[in-house]
Amino acid sequence: MDNIAGQKSTLTWAVHIAVLVLVLAWVFPTLGLLVSSFRTSDQISTSGWWAALTTQEGQLPAIRINGQEVQEADLYVIEGGLFPDSDTTVTAWGTSSRAPEAHAAGDTAELKDGARLTVAGDGAFRLTGGQSWEGQRLPRVFTTAATPPEFTLSNYTNVLTSDTAGAGIANAFINTLTVAIPSTIIPILVAAFAAYALAWMDFPGRSLLIAAVVGLLVVPLQLALIPLLQLHNAIGIGKGYLGVWLAHTGFGLPLAIYLLRNYMVGLPRDIIENARVDGATEFQIFIKIILPLSFPALASFAIFQFLWTWNDLLIALVFLGTDDSTLVLTGRLVNLMGSRGGQWEILATSAFVSIVVPLAVFFAMQKYLVRGLLAGSVK
Amino acid sequence: MRVSLYASVATLALSASLAQAAGHLPFTPGEGDFNWDSLTAFAEANDLNGEEISVFGPWRGDDQALVESILGYFTEATGATIKYASSETYEQQIVIDTEAGSPPNVAVLPQPGLIQDLVSKGFVEPLGEDTENWLRANYAAGDSWVSLGTYTGPDGEDRLYAFPYKIDLKSLVWYSPENFEDAGYEVPETMEDLKALTQQIVDDGGTPWCIGLGSGGATGWPATDWVEDMMLRTQSPETYDQWIKNEIPFTDPAVVGAIEEFGFFARNDDYVAGGAGAVASTDFRDSPDGMFSSPPQCYMHRQASFIPTFFPEGTEVGLDADFFYFPAYAGKELGKPVLGAGTLAFITNDSPGARALLAFLQTPIAHELWMAQSGFLTPHTGVNTDLYGSDALKKQGEILLNATTFRFDGSDLMPTGVGAGSFWTGMVDYAGGKDAAAVASQIQESWDALK
Repeated sequence: MDNIAGQKSTLTWAVHIAVLVLVLAWVFPTLGLLVSSFRTSDQISTSGWWAALTTQEGQLPAIRINGQEVQEADLYVIEGGLFPDSDTTVTAWGTSSRAPEAHAAGDTAELKDGARLTVAGDGAFRLTGGQSWEGQRLPRVFTTAATPPEFTLSNYTNVLTSDTAGAGIANAFINTLTVAIPSTIIPILVAAFAAYALAWMDFPGRSLLIAAVVGLLVVPLQLALIPLLQLHNAIGIGKGYLGVWLAHTGFGLPLAIYLLRNYMVGLPRDIIENARVDGATEFQIFIKIILPLSFPALASFAIFQFLWTWNDLLIALVFLGTDDSTLVLTGRLVNLMGSRGGQWEILATSAFVSIVVPLAVFFAMQKYLVRGLLAGSVK
Repeated sequence: MRVSLYASVATLALSASLAQAAGHLPFTPGEGDFNWDSLTAFAEANDLNGEEISVFGPWRGDDQALVESILGYFTEATGATIKYASSETYEQQIVIDTEAGSPPNVAVLPQPGLIQDLVSKGFVEPLGEDTENWLRANYAAGDSWVSLGTYTGPDGEDRLYAFPYKIDLKSLVWYSPENFEDAGYEVPETMEDLKALTQQIVDDGGTPWCIGLGSGGATGWPATDWVEDMMLRTQSPETYDQWIKNEIPFTDPAVVGAIEEFGFFARNDDYVAGGAGAVASTDFRDSPDGMFSSPPQCYMHRQASFIPTFFPEGTEVGLDADFFYFPAYAGKELGKPVLGAGTLAFITNDSPGARALLAFLQTPIAHELWMAQSGFLTPHTGVNTDLYGSDALKKQGEILLNATTFRFDGSDLMPTGVGAGSFWTGMVDYAGGKDAAAVASQIQESWDALK
């Protein structure tokens, strides 16, 4: 007994460490994505997200002098601040890319044509010259400075309110819900009946049918896109919500039937046989006994299917079309990134915008998820 | 009398509706130096009230807003509604839609190789000889545009199937004028000068180039542009055309030479920011940032005319950044070749509206309205070039007009498996240190396998 107990405790440690590693492996990138979603694209491309959390010291890209020209006696003066929106502290500065640290904060530099430039520690500058700056190229200032952490909400306002991508987010949100909810309910309805029949009703060829369903699990759905759309066009469904519901139902059914059938097979035979003896019909057994007992499996499959249809881009684009009026959330977020993509700030923000509903669904139903998962796999 | 009265009433009503629409159109009809007459004439000739035209194109985000603003004028003029759609995977989407029998009326694509695939399967309607003659007469270097839009149909006949609209210029080197001034460098006029400048920057302790090939699933394409540009600068245009059709193999010394010309810049640790090893792993969108950092990580960046989109926020082209023509060798007497890319519009589902939209693209106003905004170059000779939205665009337009040779992006013309496959991956291998001849024979093998 001692021996077994000892084994158990070392195993527990292994499990704890494994769980910790897995949790970190998921939380760490998610945190990075969250931080990135509050940074501008320039910040993202110049430094890592971890650098955003502390004050950064370093050489900043050139800032061009900019401001209203004022005439003081025979001098033309432009005054202003290099960092109007942040508490950046300048330690050194310069006007040439060759010598970006030529002057200390507060120094005055001689530029060409008798112009003078002073940059103070807080970024305040004073540019004076003998003639008007009108129509001239104003000098650039390279600074070496300490920048406190700075975050922006502009990515979120951009993603939530921009209509450069054609469709507004509210419209896309409703389109996605219109796709996802029926695409979750229809396969569950069909699969529950089928799973009961395959688990508890005797008919010839049942095992073959089950084998066929399992076989269908491995068929890649990309293979079916063109023939299926051809079929939809031929029978007059065309592109639309009905088509996308049917497609999601079809692609979701093999897994649903397999998962639910395995769960239902595990239910105690006695209950069902008792019911049969008492004269219940198959339909009554299904409604009164099987369905309530299978709730964890139904719920776990519902979560799977909902997440998959919510995140789906491919099927929605193919069967629903890419018009602004029918664009789903994922499609709209992709279009926001522009013709050449690569906008990390939009990508990060979009991820958090689109994750809200799946998270809510997951937390509402997560206690069924584990039970249902185990039910499907362990008999 | 009566007829003319009706006609003038119709014209009045039309101009009223055009003026009314000005609220959501970027330019008020009738104002500025635009060729508004062409819009009015087009509006009178086409009445498509109630018709719906679906358009599928490669433009998303800001570009989508631009194209929709142009299509807005078409809607105002004809009364037809346009449903514009795009998708990140538009290349696959258009194949699925045409194969399955639910194609858009008009599709716009930047890949001639893909259009050829669609044409030979019989999914595209020919545009007819009138359009062909129009292109010859109204586009600068009209013949080269006609040949770009001409494909072999399912019956084996060559016909004009696609209409080129919106051109990108690729042979550009971007730089920061003030960084050049600070260091005392001059914009090079010849390739010899450019190579000398590259060495001089290194001697002065700087790094001349920022090169990035990363682009997600399309990683490697920026290098194919380099090789194509080098091909045009070391070989005759005829050799370039043979190369694209694989009439000379990839392993030909001409091609291997062009790849090695790219290697001169990209495979030298001193010449590239981050060293040669960083070339393949740097994303092409992040790559130009090095020019604007302090101290500058590099001085030059060779990329197409669209790249300012990815410059740091607030960068002003012409002030903070500028470009020069990627020069040709003075010693080779190949003139001033220019490499470009562009989009082609074609009809996949014929209707009067689709025909009218293609006709609309022939009007000067359809070009002027976009060029007055941003990111649009056109070879249309009937437009008012003063309307270019910025000096940079005007300068690019001049490069386009001064070109002695214009060639379309070769990798787009090759079969998809090569031009958007083995050529890309081969160039990544080459940037990673593989031998040019080995890379070339690998690409040739993949091409042979497609035949």
